[in-house]
Amino acid sequence: MNEIYLRDTFGNFLVEHGKTYKDMVVLDADLSYSTRTYKFAEKFPKRFFDFGIAEQNMVGAAIGFAISGKIPIVSGFSIFTTGRAWEFIRLICHDKLNVKIITTHGGLVGEDGSTHNALEDLTLMSTLPNISILVPSDNLELEKMLHYALTSNGPFYVRLPREGFPKVHNKDYKFSIGNPDVLKNGDDICLIGIGYGSSLALQAAKELEQKYEISVKVINQATLKPINVKEFLSCIDKINKIVIIEEHNIYCGMGNILTRIISENSPKLIKILGVHNSFGESGSRVSLLSNYHLDLKSLIDIIKDMI
Amino acid sequence: MASLSALEEKEIITDILEIKKDILKMIYTAQSGHPGGSLSCVNLIYILYKKIMNINYDNPSWKDRDYFILSKGHAAPALYAVLSKIGFLEREELFTLRQYGSKLQGHPVKNKELGIEVSTGSLGMGLSVGVGCALAAKLDGNKRNIYVLLGDGELNEGSIWEAAMAASHYKLDNLLSIVDRNGIQIDGSTEEVMALEPLAEKWRAFGWEVIEIDGANINEMLEGFKKAKNILRKPTVIISYLIKGSDVSFMEHTKKYHGRPPNEEEYNSAISEINRVIKKLSEG
Repeated sequence: MNEIYLRDTFGNFLVEHGKTYKDMVVLDADLSYSTRTYKFAEKFPKRFFDFGIAEQNMVGAAIGFAISGKIPIVSGFSIFTTGRAWEFIRLICHDKLNVKIITTHGGLVGEDGSTHNALEDLTLMSTLPNISILVPSDNLELEKMLHYALTSNGPFYVRLPREGFPKVHNKDYKFSIGNPDVLKNGDDICLIGIGYGSSLALQAAKELEQKYEISVKVINQATLKPINVKEFLSCIDKINKIVIIEEHNIYCGMGNILTRIISENSPKLIKILGVHNSFGESGSRVSLLSNYHLDLKSLIDIIKDMI
Repeated sequence: MASLSALEEKEIITDILEIKKDILKMIYTAQSGHPGGSLSCVNLIYILYKKIMNINYDNPSWKDRDYFILSKGHAAPALYAVLSKIGFLEREELFTLRQYGSKLQGHPVKNKELGIEVSTGSLGMGLSVGVGCALAAKLDGNKRNIYVLLGDGELNEGSIWEAAMAASHYKLDNLLSIVDRNGIQIDGSTEEVMALEPLAEKWRAFGWEVIEIDGANINEMLEGFKKAKNILRKPTVIISYLIKGSDVSFMEHTKKYHGRPPNEEEYNSAISEINRVIKKLSEG
């Protein structure tokens, strides 16, 4: 995976659009080099605030910035920000404040190991009312999401990985919050990805069609909340077999949420590919993805079983 | 800010006693709420709204207003009663406290019409919010001051000390925190539950200017606020020594009425006691 890191796209975005979004301030918790917010700090030092290793106070201060008319971007590692400061984020959502929480190192981080993985963050965020939750599948989608979040009022959580994802969109792509983004049409089975899951699904779809003549539909569901239920259900209407792929604990992540929505409408066979009730461990990203059955082979095996 | 004349002082004390009667009536009517910590700090809240903060009495959300954050949100009845006294809220509405459909929830909820900047109630969060407001005001060159009222029990929360560190790091002289040092929290005295002393030294060690006042003395309180405004390049905390359940003898110095409403007999006795003090004041 030698793609541009999404966090670099994030850092560059802040620098490029710092002048456009004049009310934007950026907050970090001693991780500005990892999250790439240091790029903004160098260009706009007066609008950058380092809170040290104190996520609760950072998010609490974001509340103060928001009620003073600023648009705070809160950054840090996904698990530390959403976990340690959860109750402050709850208050942001409670008061519907204009705070954008944009974290990096979501999912399996690799060598840093289990304490640094974020396999629970989407659960922590999705239980909160009033927040929009976005997970980009590539750099272009991330840029579109950031513009959307900054021009919309209210709380947002945007989850970036540590590294890069392969490109799944062409330059004409338009991000539409809540709506399923059909990456590829097909009839036999539908793969629904979020974040890393979307590019993996596309890769699997190509191989399944070429080698096994299985027709695969691929949906990138980049919005975990809110979901346009009507649009989503119509998108999978004619397909009865579904695999949802998420880099998250399968307990109450995207798979769980979509399964509820689908099962309230009509019976379908659904499998969820994700981490099964584990914190993960250290290792190269490739070895972790393979070990937790989030690799191409595991996905293809599951689909072959289902068809 | 000169000291109050004897007449002014008497008027303000009478106002506070009348507000205390409203607090008791609200909690009695709701049959739930926190009388002890509302009665202890209501004089601070009233003085802030009446004498200290730059606010517009005709427009609670006036853009250049000072911000008040009631971090100890369980003192909501005290805040609501003061907001009614200064005209932000109809007095009759006070007695809908904690009822379904009332805008006066058990703990304060953000409300522009009432000038409630942020919801509070989960303790230990208000000072961080104040830090963000103070940084934003500095960034904008806005002269706004931010006042955060903290309970002493909530100083147990680690996030308070994260915020204390940040406020002095960023030299936030537009941030004033006030501690209601009544010495009692839910499970007992603050020193038995989780010792805070030496409290003033703790704040000083975190880089704050510390002013200690007798919170029952209005002139001393005004003097404290005046001093605080002249402290530059660091935040100030006013540690205000107060009495839990103040002015209702059987509620004073006890944890019993932290979160328990008075029954009918207790309520009547409390109101009579305050009425006697008001009468004595008017005769004196």
